[in-house]
Amino acid sequence: MPVADYARVVWAIIAKDAMVEWRTKTAFLSAMVFAILVLSILFFARDPTAVSSLDVAPGALWVTFTFAAMVGLNRAFLLERENGAMDGMLLTPIPRTAIFVGKMGGNLLFVALVEAISIPLFILFYNVSLAGRLPQLILVTAMATVAFVAVGTLLSAMVVRTRFAELMLPVLLLPFLIPPVVSAVQVTARILAGRPLSEMMPWLKLLAGFDIVFCVLTVLLFEATLDE
Amino acid sequence: MNEPLLAAQDVSRRFGYRQIFSNVTLTLEPGEVLALVGPNGAGKTTLLRVLAGLLKPTTGSVRRNGTIGLVAHHSMGYDALTARENLAFAARLWGVSETGRIDLLLDRLGLSKWGEMRTAAFSRGMIQRLAIARALVHDPGILLLDEPLNNLDEPGAEVVLQVIDELAERGRAIVVVTHQFERIAAIATSVGYLVGGSLEGPEPIDGRAAEVVSHKYRSLLAGG
Amino acid sequence: MTRRERALGTARTGQVVTAISLLALAGVFVRALAFTPVDRLQGPAQKILYIHAPVAFTSLMAFAVCGVLSLIYLAMRDRRLDRAAAASAEVGVAFSVAMLITGPIWGKPVWGTWWTWDARLTSTLFIFLLFVGYLIMRDAVIDPDQRARFSAVIGIMGLVLVPFIHLTVYLFRTLHPNPTLLKPSAPSMPGVMLVTLLSSIGVFLLLYAGFVTQRYAVAALQELREEEMLRDS
Repeated sequence: MPVADYARVVWAIIAKDAMVEWRTKTAFLSAMVFAILVLSILFFARDPTAVSSLDVAPGALWVTFTFAAMVGLNRAFLLERENGAMDGMLLTPIPRTAIFVGKMGGNLLFVALVEAISIPLFILFYNVSLAGRLPQLILVTAMATVAFVAVGTLLSAMVVRTRFAELMLPVLLLPFLIPPVVSAVQVTARILAGRPLSEMMPWLKLLAGFDIVFCVLTVLLFEATLDE
Repeated sequence: MNEPLLAAQDVSRRFGYRQIFSNVTLTLEPGEVLALVGPNGAGKTTLLRVLAGLLKPTTGSVRRNGTIGLVAHHSMGYDALTARENLAFAARLWGVSETGRIDLLLDRLGLSKWGEMRTAAFSRGMIQRLAIARALVHDPGILLLDEPLNNLDEPGAEVVLQVIDELAERGRAIVVVTHQFERIAAIATSVGYLVGGSLEGPEPIDGRAAEVVSHKYRSLLAGG
Repeated sequence: MTRRERALGTARTGQVVTAISLLALAGVFVRALAFTPVDRLQGPAQKILYIHAPVAFTSLMAFAVCGVLSLIYLAMRDRRLDRAAAASAEVGVAFSVAMLITGPIWGKPVWGTWWTWDARLTSTLFIFLLFVGYLIMRDAVIDPDQRARFSAVIGIMGLVLVPFIHLTVYLFRTLHPNPTLLKPSAPSMPGVMLVTLLSSIGVFLLLYAGFVTQRYAVAALQELREEEMLRDS
């Protein structure tokens, strides 16, 4: 399949998911409420006389992102399962990987939107001064988000066909999030503290390696999750 | 003679430890309307999914010389999208141009008035019509229908039967899975009985089909 | 020979291997306690090394075996590979539990605290949780072929994840210098101790083989029974 056609199919799936989400808004609103709740609970989950809010801020941000993303990931393939819509896609001549990349794109869009709203709230709530380091924060957010959306999309394709699907996703996904989320927290902490880029490099390299390896691996493994 | 549009050779399928059917051999010529009858749980739906390529046969092979249109038990659509959007999405995946074709299908299946309505608000009958329109969006060479008349009222069923008949006349091959042969007797050109895990037939049927088929079906059920 | 007889034969082999390795394990214990010198720095507490290190090594190897078998399963689709992968994961989880219990017992006298986020202990904890998830998921899938495919996907991803977890924990440790701790394994070990350690590793590997063989046979018998029940119904 030519690249242009491949891209068109991927885009069609992303646009469809975006439209469905726009119409229903259930998952997005839940994820947003969830994000705001976690951000504020973690602000209070400390002894303010001993621990400054800035010390817990990086962890709070990433716990928020992780769990808010899970709301969207859980839904991703539920939508395709509901009316057997997945069959409709599998009957067409489009490559299986395009379905995965499209679903992953839809999830990325979803999580990116949650993050785009959460970051200003985070800056506000935790009284963070980024002073021109916002691009750095966006970079590390993007890198870590790709990592957990890739793994999350693949796992979501499987767990929707297991019993207790909503329970299975966090159990399976969280171990895979340890490297990207720990890296992201470490980098975020250094960004907030205004440390030089060289101090973040080992973590950024780890993140980049994770992104590459797991994006390739999840695309390759997707076909094994389909009925046969 | 032309290549058959679909040829299944010694196909069998197992789910886990359960053998659903075995040694199914059938071919579909252009213009053929094969009625596949059998009791509930006989594996008709599984066979249809194997023919469609959604499931791999455990043994044997299926050759297709055309694209597949499938009408299954579920609509394959998205509740949050309108009828038109659902069809447009299918068209985009198939890589066919949507303009004209979608209007035509909505009109043919009596959904013109509801094109802009979200399918969440559709009745079961409307969902079924949309599912059929969806299966036809790329003008498939082979149309596989699983109980296509389910949830349809008489006028709806009439429309669907007409559509199937037209497609057959245009050289498409059609398989209709049903447990009520009488309702499609008028358009079927051959019949296969899936009873007890194996396929009897397919064999051509002539004018006085309905009684002959139901008689044979009953005797197979009693024997199996 | 029927499949049932073959599975029972495999089970018996597993039992024999397990029995032999348990006897050998008793031998290793006697050697470790009575014939291996007491560590000068850590005292008798160091003796737990002869269990802790072998079970840690064996559990990690068990997970690696699970990952490799998963990969081969996806290529060859032989149900036996899935069964063996699952058996290896389950035994690996059991050995991880042993590692996670003996670690703190050793840590308390040496480090003065039950739990410390030591790199190896932490990695094992995470990998242990990953494979507990693997086992939970196996229970949540009914169709055996689907279960095998899903498990293989998790097994392969787990295999790839392990080095990333090690790297994460390693980076975390090295970039956060902790007060000097006694390292769990001394860099250079007297020959007698090393022989005891190596023979213990050998014995635990044998024990692993015995357990996996038995678990594999049980899975085969379970499948056979499910099959028979379906045929009778």
